[in-house]
Amino acid sequence: MLLLSPVNVLKDLLLKFFSADTTNYFIWPLIQIGLVVTLVALWVAYATYLERKISAFIQARLGPMRVGPWGLLQPIADGLKLLTKEDFIPEKADRWIFFFAPYIAVASAFIVFSVIPFGPDWAVIADVNIGLLLVLAVSSVGVLALILAGWSSNSKYALLGGLRSSAQMVSYEVAMGLSLIGALMFSRTLSLSGIVTAQGSDSIWYVLYQPAGFLIFLVSGIAENNRAPFDLPEAESELVAGFHTEYSGMRWSLFFMAEYAAMVVVTAVATTVYLGGWYFPFVNRLVGVNYNLYVLVCVLVFLVKASIILYVYFWLRWTLPRFRYDQLMDIGWKWLIPSALINIVLTGFAVFLVQALNGWRGIRTIEALDNGLNLTATGKGVMIAIGIVGVFITGVLLARINWRSRDFNLKTQRRNIKLINLPKGKPARAA
Amino acid sequence: MPLVKTPKPTLAQKLKRFFMVDLLKGMGLTLKYNLGAITDKDAVAGKGIYTEQYPKVRPEVAPRFHGAPRLNMDPETHDTLCIACNLCAIACPEDCIDVIAMDVEIVVAGKPRRKKVLDEFIFDTSRCMFCALCQEACPTSCLELTQDFELATYSRAGFVWNREMLEQGRETVKYTS
Repeated sequence: MLLLSPVNVLKDLLLKFFSADTTNYFIWPLIQIGLVVTLVALWVAYATYLERKISAFIQARLGPMRVGPWGLLQPIADGLKLLTKEDFIPEKADRWIFFFAPYIAVASAFIVFSVIPFGPDWAVIADVNIGLLLVLAVSSVGVLALILAGWSSNSKYALLGGLRSSAQMVSYEVAMGLSLIGALMFSRTLSLSGIVTAQGSDSIWYVLYQPAGFLIFLVSGIAENNRAPFDLPEAESELVAGFHTEYSGMRWSLFFMAEYAAMVVVTAVATTVYLGGWYFPFVNRLVGVNYNLYVLVCVLVFLVKASIILYVYFWLRWTLPRFRYDQLMDIGWKWLIPSALINIVLTGFAVFLVQALNGWRGIRTIEALDNGLNLTATGKGVMIAIGIVGVFITGVLLARINWRSRDFNLKTQRRNIKLINLPKGKPARAA
Repeated sequence: MPLVKTPKPTLAQKLKRFFMVDLLKGMGLTLKYNLGAITDKDAVAGKGIYTEQYPKVRPEVAPRFHGAPRLNMDPETHDTLCIACNLCAIACPEDCIDVIAMDVEIVVAGKPRRKKVLDEFIFDTSRCMFCALCQEACPTSCLELTQDFELATYSRAGFVWNREMLEQGRETVKYTS
């Protein structure tokens, strides 16, 4: 219990020197920002370590083992090595843009953490009422960094990689934003803390209401982060290293950090919106025991959930081969965006159905409306059933629409060359 | 309709594609490897991990492997077994052995005699092809190619081994952890 009191002690101490307003709106946020930046930087560093370890395990290797016990100090050694390396700038590069592109990438990835609710109360820096909008807006600024880096490097590989990644990120941004709308119909707020409390008061995770939305979000999140199997911008065999071909030393590591930070952001948002964030069954009982302990347990729960999604990301990366570029655009525009739209329509229909059923022949579906859409057991059953059936409806519908859509360009070519029904023994000839 | 005929998928194939069975199979395979690696008790070269932790765990080389040369000594008197017969130098196809002998005066049964003994032995490992013909030629099993395989040095001169190195072994850093 004593271990958990420093928060209160610190608060009392600060109140002795500053007024309550200064403490609450200036000094306390600064402390939170410092903590979150430190912890997130550590998390990002150890995400690289985990990536290497998990990839090694999947390939029946051991991974980094030499620096520290089980190679635990490897990220620090890597950082030190990158700091001491030469910061090389190509001869005809656009120097200023080349300098600033990595900072834009890192800043856009780290700013998002200001609205992520790691836990209740003091574990969230800013509870903005447009939180989700801010996450999507700021994380899409990261695309700019990639374009600038690719353009300013004065290298064909960097330029091609930058263009590819920007095209990819812009097209998957749409599916990502659309897939979240379904969940917002239940939470009735854009504030990330609000979404978590809505799930808490409904005592459900939105992944049950929105299985389609969750899948779309995960897939487009992977593509948005330029990770395998959608790591086209960094396809080694074609583009050397994509947009950061010409970067070296610390600037390169900033891009690396930005990539992993963006990945952590996507997992954090997925956790918040679909997996209930820091909410966990029976966690509310801890409020009476010790409030700070309750907050810490919530933060832990959040981190565990996010880590599980992070593991799925690593897992997918080391399982699936890279997509072709046309397949990538195919999945984005022909599958994910339409299914996100179908998901919105179906969710809207389901919400309407639940409201219409409420009070019909004595059926009660809605419990309360003031803290998001809270449903009774009947309502939940209806909603979950529609959610699961919706996945199949979407799949079948899109499979019918997209049937042989890939042959589309080839059709006109094939019209001109008859390849079947030829008389035997004669060579094929264009008609 | 496209004019090229493609075989129509059966219902089972369609269902398999719809539920992404192959993807799940692949994920299951990688998960199996991952769990195997984590649950591997003897994590160093156990059954889940196939790589060898080289400086920590030293590999077992094949029994017929020929590595660093060595001049054997009499285990009791610690005198060299080499009789400076020069057979190894003659046998060497690469001409990388130099046996430098000297004559010493000794008294055998009251009479002064001269005896040829080994003064210096030069073995150039950079030119050696480890055929072990010298080992075959040696009449006293003095020269032997051991199983030691760490022969790298920082200079070309370091590849030339003298008698002391051949008898005592070269000083190398042995990593244990």
